[in-house]
Amino acid sequence: MDDSFVIETSELTKRYGERILAVDRLDLRVRRGEVYGFLGPNGAGKTTTLRMLLGLVRPTSGRARVLGAAPGSPEGLVRVGALVESPSLYPFLSGRDNLRVLARHARVSVSRVEAVLEEVELTDRGSDRFATYSLGMKQRLGVAAALLKDPELLILDEPTNGLDPAGMAEMRTFIRGLGRGRRTVLLSSHLMTEVEQICDRVGVIRGGSLVGEGTVAELRGRETLRVRAEPLAAAERLLATLPAVERVTVADGGLHIAADPAAAPAINHALVAAGIAVSELSREQASLEQVFLELTQPGEGA
Amino acid sequence: MTSLTAELLVVRKRSSTWILLGIWSVLAVLFAYVIPYVEYLNESGPGQRSLGQLLPAQLAGNLVGGFPFFGGVFALMLGVLALGSEYGWGTLKTLFVQREGRLGVFGAKLLALGAVLVPFVLVVFVLGAGASYVIALREGGAVQWPSAWLVVRAMGAGWLILAVWASFGLLLAAVSRGTSLAIGVGILYALVIEGLISAFADAVSFLEPVTEFFLRANAYSLVKGLGLSVADAAGNGPGAFSGPYVATAQALVVLVAYMAGFLALSALLLRRRDVT
Repeated sequence: MDDSFVIETSELTKRYGERILAVDRLDLRVRRGEVYGFLGPNGAGKTTTLRMLLGLVRPTSGRARVLGAAPGSPEGLVRVGALVESPSLYPFLSGRDNLRVLARHARVSVSRVEAVLEEVELTDRGSDRFATYSLGMKQRLGVAAALLKDPELLILDEPTNGLDPAGMAEMRTFIRGLGRGRRTVLLSSHLMTEVEQICDRVGVIRGGSLVGEGTVAELRGRETLRVRAEPLAAAERLLATLPAVERVTVADGGLHIAADPAAAPAINHALVAAGIAVSELSREQASLEQVFLELTQPGEGA
Repeated sequence: MTSLTAELLVVRKRSSTWILLGIWSVLAVLFAYVIPYVEYLNESGPGQRSLGQLLPAQLAGNLVGGFPFFGGVFALMLGVLALGSEYGWGTLKTLFVQREGRLGVFGAKLLALGAVLVPFVLVVFVLGAGASYVIALREGGAVQWPSAWLVVRAMGAGWLILAVWASFGLLLAAVSRGTSLAIGVGILYALVIEGLISAFADAVSFLEPVTEFFLRANAYSLVKGLGLSVADAAGNGPGAFSGPYVATAQALVVLVAYMAGFLALSALLLRRRDVT
């Protein structure tokens, strides 16, 4: 397997009994230093995949390497920080004591506890019991726990789950900061804005299989132009003759033009010069949500 | 070693540890000294004991009788809570992704559990010594302590019995991945299964050899040689035991084998099962 990939899976499969195929021959490659968004609807197999990468769940078949080591092996785990689903910590211990317990299990200096508490801005509440924390504070403490080992790879499973809009925005900014530099982040989510704003590359999973992968821009495809004009048939005929236009299609009472958006002024000039009234000429691009829905709707996608 | 200190921190800060220790200590002294002494004073009660049994000289024999059943149930709960609660809180998956791996975490939990059983033995012996001393002073009895070697052996036997029951609790927690069912089944086993089969064994001959391998039979047999009053053990109550007794060496081997078996099975389940 390739060293430039921090995570690499080959035909990774998890089956529960005969009927449930949670992950289906998944080939996933996460490059060193990138923030990779793992996008999929609920039940698509995201969390099962992350659990397999952490050694919590054993694959039925296929292979996975995390930082060059087998999932769940001490040599790999020592360089991985993880927050899987909701933060699971001892309710009767303070935030600080919870981190102390984890630091000792991870054989990390206890001085790291104060550093990560400060990083997630929980120093003042560090002595309070975890059970008394708000959901946002619990989530932040979960991230602090994941950061204890100053890991090369951070695996975050829906870290903004349950947060209010302000908390989500704060968490997104925080994760973006974590992804700068040498650290690799694998972020699982079903929230488009989250992935769009944070991730360098995105993988879309449906039914346990990867159905799309690329940068957000690649997934959204190239921009096109949309024109509303009268008479529409004359506009369509004219546009088809222009060298800047690759393709014209009629849809929703207007025209969709496959062309470089920079050609918009020339197209507008040609239409007006031919006596065609142009009521709209705008740039158009599929949103990540549209791409996501196309890829993940039953019967669609790869 | 650092994992052990982590687990000791968890055990120390957990209120259930102290609650169980408190209740067990009070009950142990209550049944071993307070109630028998009141019965002695009133010259009443079904299992009335002589004053001699309540004096410091009988400290070891008087206290060890509480470990095979009552102490065992407390240790069982401690064992169940040590692992079963981790499933409920989801903390097992948090611990498993640190560094040690599954067996490393399990080993640390095991050592911490073994360590926390030490005060469960020590406190009972200290309180028992205090109670017997007070009784001796009040009644003008001899304050003659048993040999240190006998006390150490009694404490060691007490710890081993608690450790076996705690291991049983760990296994039940690992099997059921929780606490409620594990505690229920554990107490059902301690109260009903061993008791009922032992009762039937008097009438059904082929059951008798089976009862010789019960936890309770071997635990009582282990402490019999340390001064346990067989008559008191056979008294009333759910923990009453009237035999069969086996040889001390056999009891020791059987108890250690039980503990090893329970722990090995627990480790196997933890290692092989998915953590979801």
